[in-house]
Amino acid sequence: MAFHQARWDEPLLWEIRTPIESKVDPIQGIPEPLLRKTPFRWPEPTELELSRHFTRLSQMNFSIETGIYPLGSCTMKYNPRVGEVLARDLSMTAAHPAQPVSTVQGTLEMLYRLEEALGKITGLPNVSLQPAAGAHGEFTGLLVARAYFHKKGDPRTEVILPETAHGTNPASSSMAGFAPREIPSKDGCVDLRALSDAISPRTAVFMLTNPNTAGLFEEEVLEIADRVHAQGALLYYDGANMNAILGKTNPGKMGFDIAHLNLHKTFSTPHGGGGPGAAALCVTDALTGFLPVPRLVKEGRKFRWSYDHPDSIGKVRSFYGNVGMDLRAFAFIMAHGEDGLRRVSERSVLNSNYLAHRLGKLLPRPFKPLVKHEFLLSGLPLRERGLRTLDLAKRLLDEGVHAPTVYFPSLVEESLMVEPPETESKYSLDAYYSAMERSIKDTDENIHAAPRRLAVGRVDEVAAAKNLRLSWRDLRRTP
Amino acid sequence: MVNWVPPEWEDREMLAELGIGSVEDLFRDIPKKARMGRIGLKPSMEEPALVDLVRGILSKNRPVSGFDSFLGGGVYTRYTPAVVDGLLQRSEYYTSYTPYQPEASQGTLQAMFEFQSLWVELSNLEVANASLYDGATALAEGVLMALRLHPGKRVLVPGSLNWERRSVIENYSHGAGVELVDIPWDPTTGLLDIDFIAREARKDVAAVVVEIPDSFGLLDARLPSLKSTLGEVPLVVYADPMSLSLLEPPGSWGADIVAGEGQGFGLPLSYGGPHLGLLAARLSAVRQLPGRLVGVTQDADGRRAFTLTLGTREQHIRRSRATSNVCTNHSLMALAFLAYATAMGPRGLRRLAEAQHATVGSLVTALQGTRHLQVPRFKTPYLFDVAIGVEGATVDQFLSAMLERKIFAGVPLDDPRPVAPHPRLNAFLATAGPEIDAKAIARYASAARAFGGA
Ligand SMILES: Cc1ncc(COP(=O)(O)O)c(C=O)c1O
Repeated sequence: MAFHQARWDEPLLWEIRTPIESKVDPIQGIPEPLLRKTPFRWPEPTELELSRHFTRLSQMNFSIETGIYPLGSCTMKYNPRVGEVLARDLSMTAAHPAQPVSTVQGTLEMLYRLEEALGKITGLPNVSLQPAAGAHGEFTGLLVARAYFHKKGDPRTEVILPETAHGTNPASSSMAGFAPREIPSKDGCVDLRALSDAISPRTAVFMLTNPNTAGLFEEEVLEIADRVHAQGALLYYDGANMNAILGKTNPGKMGFDIAHLNLHKTFSTPHGGGGPGAAALCVTDALTGFLPVPRLVKEGRKFRWSYDHPDSIGKVRSFYGNVGMDLRAFAFIMAHGEDGLRRVSERSVLNSNYLAHRLGKLLPRPFKPLVKHEFLLSGLPLRERGLRTLDLAKRLLDEGVHAPTVYFPSLVEESLMVEPPETESKYSLDAYYSAMERSIKDTDENIHAAPRRLAVGRVDEVAAAKNLRLSWRDLRRTP
Repeated sequence: MVNWVPPEWEDREMLAELGIGSVEDLFRDIPKKARMGRIGLKPSMEEPALVDLVRGILSKNRPVSGFDSFLGGGVYTRYTPAVVDGLLQRSEYYTSYTPYQPEASQGTLQAMFEFQSLWVELSNLEVANASLYDGATALAEGVLMALRLHPGKRVLVPGSLNWERRSVIENYSHGAGVELVDIPWDPTTGLLDIDFIAREARKDVAAVVVEIPDSFGLLDARLPSLKSTLGEVPLVVYADPMSLSLLEPPGSWGADIVAGEGQGFGLPLSYGGPHLGLLAARLSAVRQLPGRLVGVTQDADGRRAFTLTLGTREQHIRRSRATSNVCTNHSLMALAFLAYATAMGPRGLRRLAEAQHATVGSLVTALQGTRHLQVPRFKTPYLFDVAIGVEGATVDQFLSAMLERKIFAGVPLDDPRPVAPHPRLNAFLATAGPEIDAKAIARYASAARAFGGA
C-alpha cells in the first residue's frame, strides 16, 4: 500500500490576503484614552479562501479517522460520530452557564447520571466533573488531599511517585504545594522496598497509575495500599490507563482514595488536535466535603447546584466542567452499558497482547510478557545500525500509520510505547505489524531519510528552538 | 449493541495466536481480592435507542429560543458563521492529538501558529501559547508565570475580581506560597484604588492583576498609565479579546502578561465549557511560558515547516520543575477562535463589538428610573455588560420574577457560597448581544417595571 499525504505548501493566512488594518473612530461611551490606536492587522479572506485554507491544512494531519494512531498512554480510540451529533443539540450548545437551573434540568440530569456511572465504574462514589483534563484532575485531587490534611491539623508536605509516572504527576504535585519525590522501580513496577523507605509521616499522597505507564498491572497494589494507609497517607489513582480494567477491577477495590479519569481517553471524547479533554475526579466519602464547588445535587426529581460546602477547595476553573465533552462520554457509556464496557477493556487488552506478541518478534520487549492495554518495545537493537527509535518512528509515518509514543517512560532505553485500543480490528493490527516490519527491514539510508511521503520531510526541531519564530510578528522580523 | 468494537470471532484467532484459551486469562494478574462483580450499569443500546435516550434527557432543558437572554459576564451568545463549525467537524482535526510528530501534523501545527499570531496581534504582546483550558486558568497561569519573573510574597488582585477567577488564582498559587491581596475599589465608581496599587507595589509585591473590562463590566481610563507606577513588578491583564477590536491593547500600555477567555470568538456556550484560555507575554519571558508552543523551522529539504518547540519548559521533560502541569490543552477551541476571527475580519469584529456596546447602552436608557433597580450601579463607562443594583429585594427575587416573563435578565455578581469572603453587592450584570433587538429591550424594561420588589 503506497501512502502519500497531501503536500500543499499552503501559505499562511496573511500570505493569502493582504491584512486589513482596522481603524477605530470615536465611540460614544468609551473613554478616548482607551480607544485602539495600535493597528490590529489581520486578513479578511473570502469564505471560500478560508475554507480552502483550513481544508488543505486538515489534509496534512494524521488522525484516528485516517489511520491507526497507537500513541501509548493516549487511548486513541474511535470517537463515535453520534457523540458529535448529540453534543451539537441546541439546548446544549446555546445554554449559558448562568442560566437558571430550572431551564437546564436536562443537562443537569445528564451530568448527574454521568457522575453516578463514573462513581460505579471507579468504586469511588463522589464525583466532580469540574477538571478540564487529566493533569487538571490530578491538580484538583491533590488540592483535595491538601485540604484534607490541613483540616486534620496534619499538614503533610510530600507526594511520592514512581519514576515511571507521567510528567504531569510531579508537575501537578509541585503546583499543589507538595514536594514530589520519585522512587525507583523494579522490573517495571513499584519496588515495595523503595516505597517503604520513602514513605513517612510527611507523605500526603502516593500517586500511581495501574496498569502503569509500562502497560503492566501492579500486582502488589493491595499491599501498596496497605503500606500507604498505614502511614496515614492517601493513595491517588491516575486514571489515564483505566481503559484496561473496566468491569474487572476499579480504583476503589484496589484501595485508592482519589482517582481522576480522562474522559477523552477511556470514554472516547475526541482529542481535538491536543484538546479539549475532560476529566472526572472521584473520591471516597471521607474526602467528599473537599471537592470543588458547586456540587450537583438531586432533590426529589429536581437537580440543582449546591455551594454550601464549607470545606470545599473552591474552584479550579470557571463554571462546571467541559460539559460538551461530558455529554459525549455519557453517550459512550450508555451505548456500551455494563457488558459493552467490560468488552472494551477485554478487547483493548487482547489487542495489546496480540500486537505485543507479534511485534516482539521484531524488537525486544522488556519486563513480564503479560501486558494490559499497552506495551513497551525497545529500539535499542537499531543502534548497531546507527539508528534510533526516533528514526524508526519517522519511517513508520511513511506507512500511513502513526508512530507509538517514543522515549516515554524513560525506564527503558529507546522506548516505544504502543497502545492499540479496542476499536482496532485484527486486520488493522496485522497491517501495523507489517508496516513495522517493512520499516525495520528498510535500508538504513531510507530510514534516515524518512519521512518522505508526508507534507514535509524530517522537521528540524533543534533549529526551531534556536531561531525562535513563534508568530507572524517574529516572521516579519526574521523571515 | 453499537458496532464500535470488532467482532468476537476475531478474538478467537488472536487468542489462538497467543496460545491461550480465553480473554479472561489476560486478566490473571489482577489479584482476586481486587476483582469486582458487576459495575451496575444498564445493558448496551443500539444507536437509535441511544439517541432517543440522550435527546429525551436533553428535552428537559427549556429551549433557549423561548427566552430573551441578557446573560453575559464574559461568556456571550454570538452568531458563529457556519463555515467555522464546518471546519471543526473535519475529523482530521478533531480526531488527532497533540502534534508530537510534526511531519504528520502540519495541519494542526500551522493552524496553531496562526492562532498564536492572532492573539499576539490582538493583545500586542510578543508571544502567545497554543491555548489553555479557560480564561480563569489562563489568568492563574499568568499569575504563576509572573511569580517566576519577579520575586515577592504578595499578588495584588482587584477587590472586584469575579469570585470564580479569584478562587482559581488562589488554588493555583498554593504551590508558590504567595498571598492574594484585594485592591480596594470605590463604591461609587466601582474602580480600583490606583494609589493603593502604586503604594503597595513598592513593597514585596510579585505581581499586579487588573482586568479590562473588569468583573463589573467597567472601563478604567487610568489603566494605560498604570505600568509606570509599578517599576519592575509584572502587570498581568485579563482582557476580553472582543474588546481588543476597539480598545488599545494591554501590550501597548506595558502589560507583561495578557490572559483572556476566548469563548466569545465562535465558541458555543456549552453551559460553561469547553471554552478557551488565552495567554500572551513578552518574548524575554518565553522560557517561563506554560503550555504548548508552535514555532517555524524547516524540513530536511529546506521547506518551511512547523513544530512544537521549547518543550524543556513542559512537564514531559522538566517534570516537577515544569512551568505548568498542562498537557492536554484546548487546541480545537483555538482553531475555532482563529477561524471565527478570520471569517469576521478585523472590521467585522469591530462592528460587532461596537454594536454590542451600543445595544447595552439602549438597555440602560430603557431601564432609567425603574423602581428597585440602580441602573447603572456604577458611574463609570462600561463595555459589554452593565452592572445593575437591586434595591428593596434580592437579586434572586428580581431574576426569578424576570424568568416568569421569559427573560434571562442577568448574571448575579455575588459569590454564591454562604460564607463568602467579600461583602455582598446585591447586583447583577446584563449584556445585550446581537440577537437583542428594540422589542426585546422593551420587554425587559416593561417586565422590570412590573417588578414589585420583595
Ligand atoms: C499516564 C498519564 N497521566 C496523566 C496524563 C495527563 O492527562 P491530560 O493530558 O488529559 O492532562 C496523561 C496524558 O497524556 C497520561 O498518559
